[in-house]
Amino acid sequence: MNGNRRRWWIAPSILGLILILAIGWGYSEYRDKNKLGVALENHYQRLFFDVKKHVENVQVNLSKALVSQSRDQNVLLLSQIMNEAYFAQDKLGQMPITHAETAKTEKFLNQVADYSYDLIQSHLKGQPLTMEQREALANLRGNSATFNQELAKLQSELSDRTFLMGSLNRRQSKKVQQANEKILQTSIGNIEKNMAKTPELIYDGPFSDQMINKKPVGLTGKNISKAEAKKVAKQFFGDKRVKKITAFEEGENASEVRIPSHTFNIEPTNASKELAVYMGVTKQGGKVLWMANARPVSKASISIKEAQEKALKYLDGKGFKNMEPNYYLKYDNTVLFNLVYKEKDVTIYPDLVKVKVALDNGEIVGFDASSYYLNHRENRNIENVKITAEEARDGIRVDFDIDSIRLALIPKGKEEVLCYEFKGKYDDSDYIIYINALNGEEEQILQIIKNENGTLTF
Amino acid sequence: MKRFTIMTMVFVLFFLSIIMFYEPRSNLGETATRYNMFFAPQILYWGSQGQDVKNVQWQLVKWKYLIGKVDGVYGADTYRAVRRFQAKNGLNVDGVVGPSTAAALGITLSGTGAVPASAQGINRKGDEYLLARTIHGEARGEPYVGKVAVAAVVLNRVRSPKFPNTVAGVVYQPLAFTAVADGQINLTPDKDSIKAARDALNGWDPTYGCLYYWNPATATSKWIWSRKVTLKIGKHWFGI
Repeated sequence: MNGNRRRWWIAPSILGLILILAIGWGYSEYRDKNKLGVALENHYQRLFFDVKKHVENVQVNLSKALVSQSRDQNVLLLSQIMNEAYFAQDKLGQMPITHAETAKTEKFLNQVADYSYDLIQSHLKGQPLTMEQREALANLRGNSATFNQELAKLQSELSDRTFLMGSLNRRQSKKVQQANEKILQTSIGNIEKNMAKTPELIYDGPFSDQMINKKPVGLTGKNISKAEAKKVAKQFFGDKRVKKITAFEEGENASEVRIPSHTFNIEPTNASKELAVYMGVTKQGGKVLWMANARPVSKASISIKEAQEKALKYLDGKGFKNMEPNYYLKYDNTVLFNLVYKEKDVTIYPDLVKVKVALDNGEIVGFDASSYYLNHRENRNIENVKITAEEARDGIRVDFDIDSIRLALIPKGKEEVLCYEFKGKYDDSDYIIYINALNGEEEQILQIIKNENGTLTF
Repeated sequence: MKRFTIMTMVFVLFFLSIIMFYEPRSNLGETATRYNMFFAPQILYWGSQGQDVKNVQWQLVKWKYLIGKVDGVYGADTYRAVRRFQAKNGLNVDGVVGPSTAAALGITLSGTGAVPASAQGINRKGDEYLLARTIHGEARGEPYVGKVAVAAVVLNRVRSPKFPNTVAGVVYQPLAFTAVADGQINLTPDKDSIKAARDALNGWDPTYGCLYYWNPATATSKWIWSRKVTLKIGKHWFGI
């Protein structure tokens, strides 16, 4: 009797304890989840209110810039516009909205910032705003105004307490959530539609449509077929070394990329199937655009100098003449050389070819000439210098310790400018300073970071 | 019987406390150490080679910890000598020459030497590593060129006005990459992914400027099919 009563006790007490513990655990998880949900929601709300504020500032400053007659004031206003537009773009990119719904808006904001920067540059050179530029600014103001109106609408919806952006938060019913999502999506969608109507901005910054849609000028001749391209690829790699060559499948818009090309997968005779070599051959002109050999390189037995000779010899054999090695970077037992075309003692930086040499046997395991074919022109018209190197030297700090001087053509937006290149040291760090060889202006400064693996420029 | 009850209770409590207080181990810490093994030449360990190893060996031979020749290869003998040195000098005995062991040896390892203030901490490693993790999360099973292509898409997005302007901004953009959303991006990248990230950063772009890619078998967004399709690499279609 006694024993029975005791046994009757055991099971419920264990189960009861488990239940209490489970409830305790569940409650703490629930609280954690809510805390995280609220934190995330707060973050999204902050982003939204910030975006609104930044876009307001863009709009106001654009209006002011249109009114202002003072160039100095305009430079200040434009730099604020640039800042605010970048902030807005950055924060918009962090909001939980799909890319499809923000692409054009982000582009708009990026281009506003980029365009402002371009205008600042021309202002600093003493050029006043042209009619077209004023018109473009007015257009941008109109766009930011409609953008702002939509955001204001959203904001009033947001002040309604039930609106939550984070989908993690399930305290509201599914229906309310979906409704909210719809509000957000339609609003952003409206903004997107408006942005689509923006006329193309014509200027020189890196985000301008002209820069993005730039076509290669280094490729001439007629288009070649896939079979012909295959022949080119085989010959480039060495006919005897190719066991099998297959082309990658192409989509219907394959010819709309920047440099339309045939892409091949080559199985070398002496390697396993996984270690293929990849190659791109341009459709126009049939040139090898890039090559990558993913073979692992386990040891380094030749020196950088020997590797450089191999790279130069290789390029010479492929028909690249007058190439000059510039920087190198050592990684994964390979060395990457940046070789640049040289004409009449002028280093032409846009005509860049990259060659990667394996340090075990000196084989070329990588090749990239996309920059070369985008920019290279036969018989480039290189202007004569208008100032001497000594005159250019006057434009540099007196205490800048110069190691070498030479002439170089550097890219600047769509243009290329002829510069004196001063390599040297200031305060123990390495820099390259470019002084325009026509008007003596300082065009660019690069900081050089050297370590045992090579050189990087920033 | 009483003992049985108590034992059961103890077991139940034990397992429950495991469930309640178990914190999933983040693999970020491990990832970081492995990354350092790959990237930081200023730590010498078994298999290291070069001038720094020679300097270490010179010092060890001079102080009679190492009997052998100075060949610049961190092998078994050097390893044992370093351990002996560490034990004698009250250092952490791990057979790895890090900053503290190097200091005790009176050696400055390259890369830890004097760097001018204006260049301190400037490098590409952050972008490189983030790209490698993205590749590992998104394109682990792809051929090498597919990995470079995925990294190239990230970099093309950085350059495009339609996307954020930094590598981290593009990678962590909400709703952009599935591997970021489900945490696979935090896995330790393998050597191939790191190599592919470096190649992409150095300019290789097998996609010729594409901004999108998707796997037709798993893509859920209808919108992605409205992109202009250009090239298929491995399982992924690439588009602009």
